[in-house]
Amino acid sequence: MWKKMFMAALMCSAATAAQAQEELNMGAVVTLSGPGAAWGQGMLYAEQMAAEDVNKDGGLEVGGKKYKINVTAYDDKYKANEAVTAANRIVFEDGVKYIIGTTGSAPALAIQPITEKNGVIIMMLAFTDKALSPDKPYSFRPVLTTVETATPMIKWLAQEKGVKRVGGLFVNDESGQQQHEWLSKAYEAAGIPLHATESFERDRVDMVPLITRLMAQNIDAIDLNGISPSTAGLIAKQAREMGFTGLLVRSGGPATEEIVNVAGAETVEGMLVYTQIDPSNEEVAAYAKRYQDTYGKAMNGFSPSFYDGTHMLFQAMQDAGTVTDVDKVRVALENIKDYDGILGTLNWTGKDTYGIDHQIDAPFFVSEVKDGKEVIRAKCTVDSCQ
Amino acid sequence: MKEETTIAAPAGSGADIEAAGGMGPLRWLALIVFAGIVAVPLFMTSPFYIHLAVLVCLNVTIASGLLMLSRTGQLSLCQAAFVGVGAYVSVLTGTHFAFPFLLSALLGAAASALVAFLLGAAILRLRGVYFVLITFAFGELFRLAMLQAAPITGGANGIAGIPSASIFGFDFDTRKAFYCLAAAVALASLAFLLALFRTAKGHAIDAAGQNPNLAEATGISVRNTQLFAFTVGSGFAGLTGALLASYVGYISPESFNTSVSIGVVIMLVVGGRNSVLGPLIGSFIMTPLPELFRGAVQSQNIFYGVALILILRFLPQGIAGLRLFRRIEGEQV
Amino acid sequence: MNLQFLLGQALTNGLVIGLLYLLMAIGFTLVFGVMRIANFAHGEFYMLGAFVAFITVKWLGLPYIASVLAAFALALVLGWLIEVVVLKPFRGDELNGLIATLGLGMIIQNLALISFGPDPQSMPATVTGVFKMGSIVVPLSRLYVVAFSAAVLALLWFFLMHTRSGRALRAVVEDIEIARAQGIHAHIVYPLGFGLGVALAATAGALMAPVFSVSPFIGATPLFKAFIVVVLGGLGSIPGAALASLLLGLAESLGSTFFDGSTADMMIFVLVILVLVIRPSGLLGRAEN
Repeated sequence: MWKKMFMAALMCSAATAAQAQEELNMGAVVTLSGPGAAWGQGMLYAEQMAAEDVNKDGGLEVGGKKYKINVTAYDDKYKANEAVTAANRIVFEDGVKYIIGTTGSAPALAIQPITEKNGVIIMMLAFTDKALSPDKPYSFRPVLTTVETATPMIKWLAQEKGVKRVGGLFVNDESGQQQHEWLSKAYEAAGIPLHATESFERDRVDMVPLITRLMAQNIDAIDLNGISPSTAGLIAKQAREMGFTGLLVRSGGPATEEIVNVAGAETVEGMLVYTQIDPSNEEVAAYAKRYQDTYGKAMNGFSPSFYDGTHMLFQAMQDAGTVTDVDKVRVALENIKDYDGILGTLNWTGKDTYGIDHQIDAPFFVSEVKDGKEVIRAKCTVDSCQ
Repeated sequence: MKEETTIAAPAGSGADIEAAGGMGPLRWLALIVFAGIVAVPLFMTSPFYIHLAVLVCLNVTIASGLLMLSRTGQLSLCQAAFVGVGAYVSVLTGTHFAFPFLLSALLGAAASALVAFLLGAAILRLRGVYFVLITFAFGELFRLAMLQAAPITGGANGIAGIPSASIFGFDFDTRKAFYCLAAAVALASLAFLLALFRTAKGHAIDAAGQNPNLAEATGISVRNTQLFAFTVGSGFAGLTGALLASYVGYISPESFNTSVSIGVVIMLVVGGRNSVLGPLIGSFIMTPLPELFRGAVQSQNIFYGVALILILRFLPQGIAGLRLFRRIEGEQV
Repeated sequence: MNLQFLLGQALTNGLVIGLLYLLMAIGFTLVFGVMRIANFAHGEFYMLGAFVAFITVKWLGLPYIASVLAAFALALVLGWLIEVVVLKPFRGDELNGLIATLGLGMIIQNLALISFGPDPQSMPATVTGVFKMGSIVVPLSRLYVVAFSAAVLALLWFFLMHTRSGRALRAVVEDIEIARAQGIHAHIVYPLGFGLGVALAATAGALMAPVFSVSPFIGATPLFKAFIVVVLGGLGSIPGAALASLLLGLAESLGSTFFDGSTADMMIFVLVILVLVIRPSGLLGRAEN
């Protein structure tokens, strides 16, 4: 008798368990402390808000089941070794198969041996071209890098603005050296090779000697691509103080708000910037407001890309009809075409550059800074700007 | 094997050795517990915990190197740079000249020792704090140099795809296999320390640390003793660098910056700066500790800062200075 | 034209940067002279000074000069308290004191990080416009810094030379043995030395805040430069620090104008090692053992 009741109870509870909500653990290995924290937070918050979107409707529906999304986040402190430990933990301890991260290039290259070997999908910010390659089928990059944005924008600059002698400033670190290489190519391609370049240490704050050197070579524009927003602002400020009257350009990396913050609106009046966000795009404006309301911080410029990226990942799971078979999800993700994200129509590209179509292709714009705000001057695709 | 060496050389710190030669029951118990702890990772299934165990072993070796210098009364804030020198030299000789791992790892250790010797020869004649400041600056310089030498070192992009360690045809390509290697090196470094502090050189190290003027008066060259400790200790760091590079498979200048060096100092302060047990205890506590804070971030450094000051104030000999550990080490309490 | 422009520009800029280093280094050497502690938290007080200036000017709307005074006063009080509460047991203990300040620096930096967030912020320039002399251009905001630093240094000089506690402090810095023999008022001299030292760092931070940006991480570079300066000039030597800061400022500025920034940094390190090999006690330091 007791035995029977016990069995019944057991079967009963098993049945409820089947009906109860399934859970899907996703992860973030991003920079949450130190100077890179603003970017890492932007990535993590994007993932959390995307998860909130589907959880609000009772979870993500995949293959007839509803999955509640949990997000586990670990800090990599922008360091390769820390990222490896975090990746070990999130992959093996937490059993996570889908990771947003990493923020930096060195951490990305360091964790890929683990994620690729164990079939874990990562969506990273890392700008290095080495992070995408045919032998890394599980790595995706949902943001545009300099490689994608610089060439069309610089061609436009050369044609429309008659810029001839451009000086470039680069940080002596992983993204800086990368930017240097790619920008040099982009300027070559536009027919106006970089006239002068300078590199400096990341924590340098006195830019006057570098600007002096650039100005001594009679440059008519300075490209601030790939420099962290605050440093770019400092350079703009100090260049104007030195009496530099030429054009300020930023051909990659969303940062206008921070640059205006640091340099002041007057200083950067007329600066030409790459931007991924059309100010008239109401969806992004709503996202920015939600970001501000939820986390009490101004939205990081990269965040919408990861919001779209996470939603693309969700759709890939639904298309694949599974959350456990990562290979199927990966193929489904690759096959997503003309995804309608908040940033516009998104596709995968990159075969020519990286050998694999794991690089996002999103619309972007060239804007002019007017009174501290971006005003759109040209619409761009990875092919050209108009 | 290594445990036997440890048994053969039971040693205490400095002058107490002769008095504490025997193997009391407490020390047998401690040894058994220790052997047990060393063996545990072999039976673990979670790669993450084995990974942590590997890191503990690597940190033990790095901290042991610094312990020698610390016992001479000096402190280096560029231990991570020497780990870096070892890592870069071993990786570059391995890839460019196809040297076997063992050879390139030893070259890495030798390179670190050589750099330390040259640096030490130049600046160890200066008064105490100068040395610390210069080592701090040297750590920065090393990072800069690795960034600048991009054609060789890959600059900030670092070097990826470093093959796993392989010695005499045996590949240490799984976490467990590598743990055995890292644990053997860590135990060997501890055994080296235990043996060293029984020799005249070891006594000279303690003498230089405890009272430099007295040491000079008794004919010990404080400078040469410190130079010896700095050189050998940096060699330890270099060897660890070679291991670390082959384990992680990726190196970049940021992995060897000053905050890592400060981390080693914290390990030593927490563990104990005058005891061979110090690096062991320090690494054992400080390596897994950040995992508690992996999700909740910014408060952790405040916690470390407070802990550092409190330990310096109330437990200047670190945890190894507690009565229990001093008895284990064989000092008469 | 180019060479003249570059040279003139490099020299003036070097002078400005040299003065900043001087404020940092004098504070550092003062703390070391009194406490025998190399203060690794020194850069964090620079950062705190910058934040005080930022808050008083941008949030409270006070004039710039008031913000500099506020930074100085707050740092003096905070430094005094920290010395008495935290560092007292480490007086004269070179190694433990040094490690304790490492911990102190971590605490201060991360408290700032929690309070203000990681993003760099900017405060409005005190003055705009440039000063032109021939082809040389100096932003007025930097001339401001020069004037203020000079004023602060003059006041410090007056304090050290002509006041009672100043003289007592100087006696300790210059020769602790003699000062000990004559008796030190420990309860005043130690907290005053530390407080004044870090207040100078905070002043430097407040002065540079409108020129550079403000974030919890800005202390690292000035700290590093202060190390180089005091090693070069001789630990505990105020004239040595003065000479070395100006030399370093000029060398850096010239170096990064005629080579590039990173090369200049490495050359300076090699230079410092060479100086130490030739003159182990620094340029103007006294030989000690």
